[in-house]
Amino acid sequence: MIGHDVFLPTSLLVLCVGITVMLAATAWRRSTSRSFLTGMGTLLLALVFVGHHTGIAPDNGDSLFIQDQWANYTAILIMFSSMCILLMSWRNDANDRTTSLVDEYPLLCMLGTLGALTMVFSANYMPFFLGLEILGVSLMGLVTFRHRPAIQGYEAAMKYLILSGMSSAILLFGIGLAYGVTGSLRFMPPITIGNISPALPVAATIMILVGMFFKLSAVPFHMWLLDVMEGAPVPVAAFLAVVSKIAIFSSLVRYFGTGNQSPFLNDILYIVIILTIMGGNLLALRQTSLTRLLACSSITHVGYLLIAFLCPGRLQSGAITIYLLAYTASTLGVFATMSAFATSDGPDGTVIAQWKGLFFTRPFLASSMSLMLLSLAGIPPGIGFFAKFEIAATGVEYQRNLLLGALIIGSIIGLYYYLNIIRVMMSAPSLPSASLNRHIRPELMALVIVLTVIVVIGGLFPARALHPLLPVSAIPSDTETEMTMR
Amino acid sequence: MNPLPALVLLPVIGGGLAWLAERVRPHTVVPSRNASWWVMLATLIVETLLLAMVTFNHPTIRTGPWLEHFSMPWIPTMGIAVRLDMDGLSLSLIWLSLLLCFLCACLATRQITVKAGTFHFLFLTTLTGIIGTFLATDLFLFFFFWELMLVPMFVLIAVWGHEDRQRAALKFFMFTQGSGLLMLLSILGLVITHDRETGVLTFDYFTLAQTHLSPTLSMLLMLGFFIAFAVKLPIVPVHVWLPDAHTQAPTAASVLLAGILLKTGGYGMIRFNVMLFPDTAMHFAPVAMGLGVVGVLYGAWLSCAQEDIKRLIAYSSISHMGFVVLGIFTGSRMGMQGAIIQMLAHGLSAGALFLIAGTIQDRLHTRDMNRIGGLWTAMPRLSATGLFFAVASLGMPGLGNFAGEFLVLLATWHVSPIIATVTTVGLVLAAIYALRMVNRVFLAARREGQIPLKDLPVRQMAVFACAMIFLVVLGLHPQPFMTFSAPSPLSVIGVTGQGEHAP
Repeated sequence: MIGHDVFLPTSLLVLCVGITVMLAATAWRRSTSRSFLTGMGTLLLALVFVGHHTGIAPDNGDSLFIQDQWANYTAILIMFSSMCILLMSWRNDANDRTTSLVDEYPLLCMLGTLGALTMVFSANYMPFFLGLEILGVSLMGLVTFRHRPAIQGYEAAMKYLILSGMSSAILLFGIGLAYGVTGSLRFMPPITIGNISPALPVAATIMILVGMFFKLSAVPFHMWLLDVMEGAPVPVAAFLAVVSKIAIFSSLVRYFGTGNQSPFLNDILYIVIILTIMGGNLLALRQTSLTRLLACSSITHVGYLLIAFLCPGRLQSGAITIYLLAYTASTLGVFATMSAFATSDGPDGTVIAQWKGLFFTRPFLASSMSLMLLSLAGIPPGIGFFAKFEIAATGVEYQRNLLLGALIIGSIIGLYYYLNIIRVMMSAPSLPSASLNRHIRPELMALVIVLTVIVVIGGLFPARALHPLLPVSAIPSDTETEMTMR
Repeated sequence: MNPLPALVLLPVIGGGLAWLAERVRPHTVVPSRNASWWVMLATLIVETLLLAMVTFNHPTIRTGPWLEHFSMPWIPTMGIAVRLDMDGLSLSLIWLSLLLCFLCACLATRQITVKAGTFHFLFLTTLTGIIGTFLATDLFLFFFFWELMLVPMFVLIAVWGHEDRQRAALKFFMFTQGSGLLMLLSILGLVITHDRETGVLTFDYFTLAQTHLSPTLSMLLMLGFFIAFAVKLPIVPVHVWLPDAHTQAPTAASVLLAGILLKTGGYGMIRFNVMLFPDTAMHFAPVAMGLGVVGVLYGAWLSCAQEDIKRLIAYSSISHMGFVVLGIFTGSRMGMQGAIIQMLAHGLSAGALFLIAGTIQDRLHTRDMNRIGGLWTAMPRLSATGLFFAVASLGMPGLGNFAGEFLVLLATWHVSPIIATVTTVGLVLAAIYALRMVNRVFLAARREGQIPLKDLPVRQMAVFACAMIFLVVLGLHPQPFMTFSAPSPLSVIGVTGQGEHAP
């Protein structure tokens, strides 16, 4: 048993130590900046140690954690996003918060990151579920940090608590069933052995899938995301849209593998993808709140990602890798621009109408915002263009014509609402005083510039991001060999 | 040193410099605006010199091999490379683009006062997209440029346009982008089919041309391309974006739209529909020719009913582009040459007409023909120029448009006399709308209370004169252009293009 537990990706260890230090420091004396700095430092250190691990992985694959390129890649994305989000909220929450005790905020962010990383590295149901819950509970705390209309934050947190609890319950039930069928806690779809009726593993798989869809906010299970993201502070909304989605998507790929899915899963995924793409896009059409719109857009992007997940082939790995990168960079870019736009006494940038005339008052912010939105819509020169191209390529390779149709219709609708924001920014400014309350926060400007560079360079030279990183359907083949051995 | 990448990148670099030139000294308003303009002019001159070098490097211009070839790996895992090739067709269309850009630079972009640097940057970025589209022979690169040129054009219309600019810009973007996605699927379908056949994943135009396709698949793939180009050209059922976009765009953007952006559609039809799927294109030709005739008649008919000058010219463009479709799909060499001549001539005449309409709007602040009139006495030079280009656009013998239309009609007659006869009605309608415009704008009695107007300065007349001379040459002596601008056949480079991958 000890042998299993020792195998641990070092990044997890670093994060745990960092969080303990933060807790201890909080007990000693409270300081927001120190807390933020410790958090950033820990994340940086964890990023450095991302390829390392302690102990030796057992050969039979029965360890709690796994470390491969896919896990490392998504872990890097998650930690990078967390750093961006910490940077975004550095002074934002100081403005937002009425009381001065805010060092819980970076602490919760770090805990959420720890949960997400645990999910990414897990090869067993236990760490996966623990990570999921750590992430969920810390997110609930983070969501309440919006204090301007305080009641909204609490409402969002309550919604998140209830729905997240429910989905966790379904997931847990599924895990229980899977354990009942296979007698193993390994993180992979259950397979019938012996005389157990085949309905049980199917039920288990479907329940786990539903739980994951809830967290991913695929369409029939998406209702919570819009309200929660709107009620949360802007950086936390980014956390919801990026970190938690990457973590759960990474686990989804790890769980179901990258090979051909079983027929019933195929059908479910087919329907869910079409519903997700169409639903997310249609919901976004009438939104006036930018956060809600971004929530819808993130729903849609999950749909696009699932297309690549459903089309195993030569192109799949590259498509998923680059799409995750594109989605992360562009979404973070939009949120960073929103934070840079917000002022303590003026508009906070969550309503689209507030962005009116930005091209004339703050051209740089407006240009980078447009670039990010175009990248999300899949227009060159942003990285999103190549990512969407790759997704379409996987679909064409597998001739998923219906999904391709949904992709195209979805993209056209998407184009409308993304361009609509750009249109608002281009119309003549309504308030001549808009330039008065501009105050530039250098760290946010730097963040926006960095993300813009990533989006443009990634769009022009995407070749470097195209690595075959997915777990090469190792889990299903492993089980097959095991089956034969038994 | 291969000139092709420089040709593509030069405008966007120049645009960046123009933008910087404005930013350097933001306090002194007037000199800085001029600075960005001068940078743009310098960029265009350098680009022209480069292009002239390319042109005259090849003293014996034959219709055979391609003039220039450039290749550099870009995304090797996907088989995507930066492949640029130039033949007579792309060369002549690039010459047209540069000529029109000079017209814009001399006549239209200097009036831009709000954020001139950004305007010039976007203008030159659009030019990069257009030139890239004309040169790319990697399907991914082609699609990249195809989409890339939409963004700056969208901003040009949405920020510097007229009253209803934002709706028009949105419509323009959504139509072209949506149809572009269909083309993307076609490209991918072709690439994946080729991959299945040979196991080689490549986006190379010449390699893909040798893919064996079943007739159904070939038709589907060709339709994907056709719809994208049909929206851009435009062909009638999908022309809805054009009148709005052309009318609402600022003058320089209108010229770019009508003069060159539409031509990318025609270029794509020749390069990709007809040359990549020759047999399928022949099967599809009756439908395409039918659509072309409908376009000719419908555009001309609506053009007769317009009160807005720019709208009138926009609808006349639809009519003229109908001839291009007709010519391309006749399947004969003559029809193709006619279509190309028509594209060149229309680029010049419609571009010049938009410039004149823009000049009128700058002075009178209206485009409504009911409120303009009797300009001949006030502005004789402008009116004479207007008359010339209006007459050119109605197809006066001796001018370029006539040569193009005549060749197209002749080629069509060989295929189907009925279609040719019906199309001639379009010429009659063209006479009606063009002369109606001339009558009401230039010749009619002066309106009451018109402000005193300043005529075109001599310098600007000289610029217009260049376009006129070119149109006359194109009309009187089209033969060199016809041989020069013919697209190079695929088979020739199929071998050489593979062989010489030297940069």
